[in-house]
Amino acid sequence: MKDPEMHDRDREDGEAPILRICGASKAFGGVQALEDVSFEVSQGMILGMIGPNGAGKTTLFNLISGLYPPDAGRIFFNEAEIQRLPTHQRVRMGIARTFQNLALFENMNVLENVMVGQHVRTRCGFWGAIARTPGVRREEAACRESALALLDMVGLADQALKPSADLPFGWQRLLEISRALASRPRVLLLDEPASGLNALETGRLGDLILAIRNQGITIMLVEHDMSLTMSVSDRIIVLDQGRVLASGTPEEIQTHSAVRTAYLGEHCEQR
Amino acid sequence: MKAFTRNCSEKIMTQSSLHETLRIGLLAGAVAAAGILFDNAYHIQVLVFIGINTILTLGLNLLMGYTGQISLGHAAFYGIGAYTSAILTVHFQFSPWLALVPSLGLAVLVALIVGIPTLKLSGYYLAMGTLGFGMIVFIVFRELDFWTGGSSGLAGIPSLKIGPVDLTSGRNFYYLVWGAVLGTLVVSRRLIESRVGRALRSIHGSEHAAMAIGVNTQAYKLQVFVFSAFLAALAGFLYAHCIGFISPGSFDFMASVRMVTMVVIGGMASIWGALLGASLLTLLPEWLHAFAEYEMIVYGLILMLVMIFLPQGLLRGLLDIYERSRNA
Repeated sequence: MKDPEMHDRDREDGEAPILRICGASKAFGGVQALEDVSFEVSQGMILGMIGPNGAGKTTLFNLISGLYPPDAGRIFFNEAEIQRLPTHQRVRMGIARTFQNLALFENMNVLENVMVGQHVRTRCGFWGAIARTPGVRREEAACRESALALLDMVGLADQALKPSADLPFGWQRLLEISRALASRPRVLLLDEPASGLNALETGRLGDLILAIRNQGITIMLVEHDMSLTMSVSDRIIVLDQGRVLASGTPEEIQTHSAVRTAYLGEHCEQR
Repeated sequence: MKAFTRNCSEKIMTQSSLHETLRIGLLAGAVAAAGILFDNAYHIQVLVFIGINTILTLGLNLLMGYTGQISLGHAAFYGIGAYTSAILTVHFQFSPWLALVPSLGLAVLVALIVGIPTLKLSGYYLAMGTLGFGMIVFIVFRELDFWTGGSSGLAGIPSLKIGPVDLTSGRNFYYLVWGAVLGTLVVSRRLIESRVGRALRSIHGSEHAAMAIGVNTQAYKLQVFVFSAFLAALAGFLYAHCIGFISPGSFDFMASVRMVTMVVIGGMASIWGALLGASLLTLLPEWLHAFAEYEMIVYGLILMLVMIFLPQGLLRGLLDIYERSRNA
């Protein structure tokens, strides 16, 4: 019933956590979006994050990916302090993300969206592009091939040359995930990947998330779809009003009374 | 599966690069043919101006059309290219080719200095920042009269020579300018179809998303700003040595607006659109001499109509209409 101490659990694996958040706080104007949030994510796990709207889940993602700095607190990736690094350096280190409201590049086709995702893993610069040396051509061909392979993995290879905006919504979600994977991340932050998907698509998304984890990629998942979160997550953190309300295995969370009151529905209060 | 993706990949690659090589080859052929066919000095002169404006438009299109950063002060770089070379050749007896290096270099330097703070701005703020910069440079051209000749302009700019070949003659200059246009086209094309080009376009798509996939947006914005300033200065250099006389009026706010109009009319993010936009807006004033007084109004009207009815630009718009009529 009580929160198990996460720290102890992770130490049992004998591995340092890949991501560690220590006392992160963030306020917007007078609104405290996050207050003294601390937790760890160990290598290879799927960590679900749930909480009502405005609980600070997306804010937390933005702090981790570096879209804005925390007011206080520290963030460690692989034991390196990253909270002051610009976003692009964090991607290079291995933190990739998707967005709640899809952020595909609509001025590019499906293939180019995944190719641009490999930005931090390719090297061709301004002069290289102009000179178009054999090395640059080889890199470009390799980039195109691995983009197609990623598209193939999510089943979009035959859509490669379509404008990304022409894809059905569910496919756009898959495309955004393959774009994030193209940066060969070690941690993937998925912000509500199932929103707007039907039941069938959500089921396939669950399989995809597990397949990505099986490649050794650690996943943080913010998701409102409870059955998806509960079924794929190894651990779950519950955020409420910017604070960590509870954390534990899916089973522990489902039986946690404070969580039931705060999040799973008012009807629980009657019990 | 590996074989499948490689196959696909090769097909995609050969298709797109073949088309482009073909198009650029066709354009080179057309340029050569026009050089032989056109006899009239005035026609050649107009073609030279189209070429200079195409270089300008290609540069601004990389910044505006592909990267989505609006500059309303690009005539300043055009002017820096023209005035630096003009001053060095007229007052300091530099040979024009020697003056090319400092005039491009100064434009690059100024672009770096202006770009570092302004490119932190976005949207309207960037437009306002560059607008202010353009005005300052215009005033410098006008007021620094011991070098620039003030508002009455600077005359006697020498023409270009390559060895014994004098490029004063319209036709030789025409080949020089269009050689530069073809070079710029190829370079722009290569940039856009590369890792760098994709990064630039991602910034246009969404700056946040571009950062989130690891693009150093500040650095890329600065690079493309500097490169487009470089191309504007190159165009300015050609312009100054082509007509031998420059005055601040060619580099004022209206000139910046004209450049933006060329990009928008031809089509944002379209290299061939840049060629079309530059051609149309160079020819239009020639055809509509009667409207000289109302140039600003005509440009404004064209800009409005294109934005409302053909927001993708004239080239894309016309192609769409053609395709629709064929399908119907």
